[in-house]
Amino acid sequence: MTSETSPSVSGDEASDPKPSPEDQLASLALSETDGPASGSPRENNRHNEIESAEEEVQTNSAAPGLAVVENSGEAVRRGRIGGVLWARTNSEPEADGPESPSSSGYAGERGSSSASSAGSGIYEIAEVRDDEVVDGVSDSQAAWVPGKRHVDEDDASISWRKRKKHYFILSNSGKPIYSRHGDEHKLAGFSATLQAIISFVENGGDRVKLVRAGKHQVVFLVKGPIYLVCISCTEEPYESLRMQLELIYGQMLLILTKSVNRCFEKNPKFDMTPLLGGTDVVFSSLIHSFSWNPATFLHAYTCLPLAYATRQAAGAILQDVADSGVLFAILMCKHKVISLVGAQKASLHPDDILLLSNFVMASESFRTSESFSPICLPRYNPMAFLYAYVHYFDIDTYLMLLTTSSEAFYHLKDCRIRIEMVLLKSSVLSEIQRSMLDGGMRVEELPLDPLPRSGSFSPHLGQHTLPTDSPDGFRELYGGIGGPAGLWHFIYRSIFLDQYVSSEFSAPISSPRQQKRLYRAYQKLYASMHERGIGPHKTQFRRDENYVLLCWVTQDFELYAAFDPLADKALAIKTCNRVCQWVKDVENEIFLLGASPFSW
Amino acid sequence: MGCSSSLPDRSSGRLVGPNGENGGASDAKNLRVKLVLLGDSGVGKSCIVLRFVRGQFDPTSKVTVGASFLSQTIALQDSTTVKFEIWDTAGQERYAALAPLYYRGAAVAVIVYDITSPDTFNKAQYWVKELQKHGTPDIVLALVGNKADLHEKREVSVQDGMDYAEKNGMFFIETSAKTADNINQLFEEIAKRLPRPAPPSSSQNP
Repeated sequence: MTSETSPSVSGDEASDPKPSPEDQLASLALSETDGPASGSPRENNRHNEIESAEEEVQTNSAAPGLAVVENSGEAVRRGRIGGVLWARTNSEPEADGPESPSSSGYAGERGSSSASSAGSGIYEIAEVRDDEVVDGVSDSQAAWVPGKRHVDEDDASISWRKRKKHYFILSNSGKPIYSRHGDEHKLAGFSATLQAIISFVENGGDRVKLVRAGKHQVVFLVKGPIYLVCISCTEEPYESLRMQLELIYGQMLLILTKSVNRCFEKNPKFDMTPLLGGTDVVFSSLIHSFSWNPATFLHAYTCLPLAYATRQAAGAILQDVADSGVLFAILMCKHKVISLVGAQKASLHPDDILLLSNFVMASESFRTSESFSPICLPRYNPMAFLYAYVHYFDIDTYLMLLTTSSEAFYHLKDCRIRIEMVLLKSSVLSEIQRSMLDGGMRVEELPLDPLPRSGSFSPHLGQHTLPTDSPDGFRELYGGIGGPAGLWHFIYRSIFLDQYVSSEFSAPISSPRQQKRLYRAYQKLYASMHERGIGPHKTQFRRDENYVLLCWVTQDFELYAAFDPLADKALAIKTCNRVCQWVKDVENEIFLLGASPFSW
Repeated sequence: MGCSSSLPDRSSGRLVGPNGENGGASDAKNLRVKLVLLGDSGVGKSCIVLRFVRGQFDPTSKVTVGASFLSQTIALQDSTTVKFEIWDTAGQERYAALAPLYYRGAAVAVIVYDITSPDTFNKAQYWVKELQKHGTPDIVLALVGNKADLHEKREVSVQDGMDYAEKNGMFFIETSAKTADNINQLFEEIAKRLPRPAPPSSSQNP
């Protein structure tokens, strides 16, 4: 039955909100749930060593010796007992009789049954093939083809039913608004069914959040007259899927604002699809980013690595412009921030940065010429349009100037000309291109010895790798694949800065499929660390046949690291400390520091 | 195919049209005009502009967001130059309410439809009415039937376009951004119809 390659850590939050100690053992979320420690004042500074946390690990997992998940499917199985679960907000969980997935008309299960015992690996491959049409291409972003897929399908097509992940937006009268796969208009019947499920539960004074049917999860999100639904058999945690629906809703608001609700007040049968005309690419690119962009679950943004002085130069001219009546000035390269500045008291939420940059990058027309377009930042003000001036300096680097004035185009155009002159004169644009080529932090370059504090960095992000083998013998053990101690990849999120840095992918995480799988694993790790009720946790160490995953959360940062599945635990922990030190040493280059005080 | 009806030049003897918020630095020899393109989505507004400004044609459809701003200068035979500051607006319904933002102060409006789609011709008529009501009073209006290369799929006759344009005092032309047919002619013809500033002699005596 269980086919997930890495065991589910969350169990079933819907059916069992307060897991017993056994549950925690089953899921082996190595947690420290005592009040004083987790919610304590800042007794831990940034440099507290992870060793202390490890002791807690040992005590918590007293029973089966090593605190390592060895692929027990226990938690997964536990979650499956009730065929369908209504996640009640105010009453006892109630399990209906087991229901065959096909009886709901949704037969996605059928096509996958043969793959179930062989592990989701096979199924995952199948999905990657038909979704992304890649193989052997190392850059998953480059390989992805934008736009709507499978328009010819509808809910009667076998292929449509077999898709692993569906997203729907519909109105509360059951009218389809958006579907990831297939033609919305042909899915009217299916939309009506979803609407019926939601309103059936609502009529009982309740709210449906999650339905499990075999391998499938159906996640619901109600936003006034707008319903969002995700149907997935990817075994992502409920929390992750719900956050994805929140982002899709945010993307819709970015295009239309919340005032679209008024159309439904006037006419409940209002057809919203024409209003979203031409935005399929925006949604499909956002959905694609759920499988490669950590910003979608970390709620943080990432910066393009640049010399401190270079970023300062860019920030200074943006600040200059912001003082002349621009609300936000944002300079980005692909999905990475170069610098951003807000007018006084205006703060920009990382989710808004994600949605705005997704919108701009997905809409090809911005690349052709400078543009002026109304957009809404849902976290800033979901009711009002701002006006965005967008200009590409080169194929990847673009400037967004946001203002509240619809008349400001010519002023913003002048601002852009000023900014462009400064960026050219101080060679920021060429530095950006060089950084794009150089890439970011690489696990292979993790310094083996602590850097001198005053250290002036070598050309590439404090690279001090010694040619000799380390005394710990990291290198001998792992034959040069990945970094020391079998470190394959890491993500470091600074809580104060709301920024993260992710290491470059390298062997053996080189194919888009492997990268996607690692992101899913991180995402699951993130969800389990932040799970309500039993969290927040401080450390987690888990091993399965794919990786050793190590997560460390303090008040200042969160570290997610992936190691070789055979990695030694003590060495892995040591390596994580080194990663944190490394990040600290190069923070001037990888983060945007000292910007105006953001207060999100 | 591409066919233009020469209408009586209504522009003779008129005052200078406004050149937009940027305070057009026009003089008699160097005109600077704000031009707005309107029309249903997918009729080829951006393609017409990109053909005119960059001589390019990209068959993949790129939906315009908000409005794109481009400019192009042409020289006329009488050695005057005209700099077009072009607002290429998005045809999507959600941007319709914002159109005044872009056509306000425009000296020229180019209204585009697709000769293979009667719906877009209806939409064009909607824009003509809107501009007659709310546009700059002496705006130069051009009606453009695009995709003239798809004549085997034609559903709006040349005559219908011409008749409608004539009734509304517009300049009419059929173009193909794909083959570049009549694209330059469109803008040259517009340039000729632009009201000229008063001769320099008047400004010499303030």
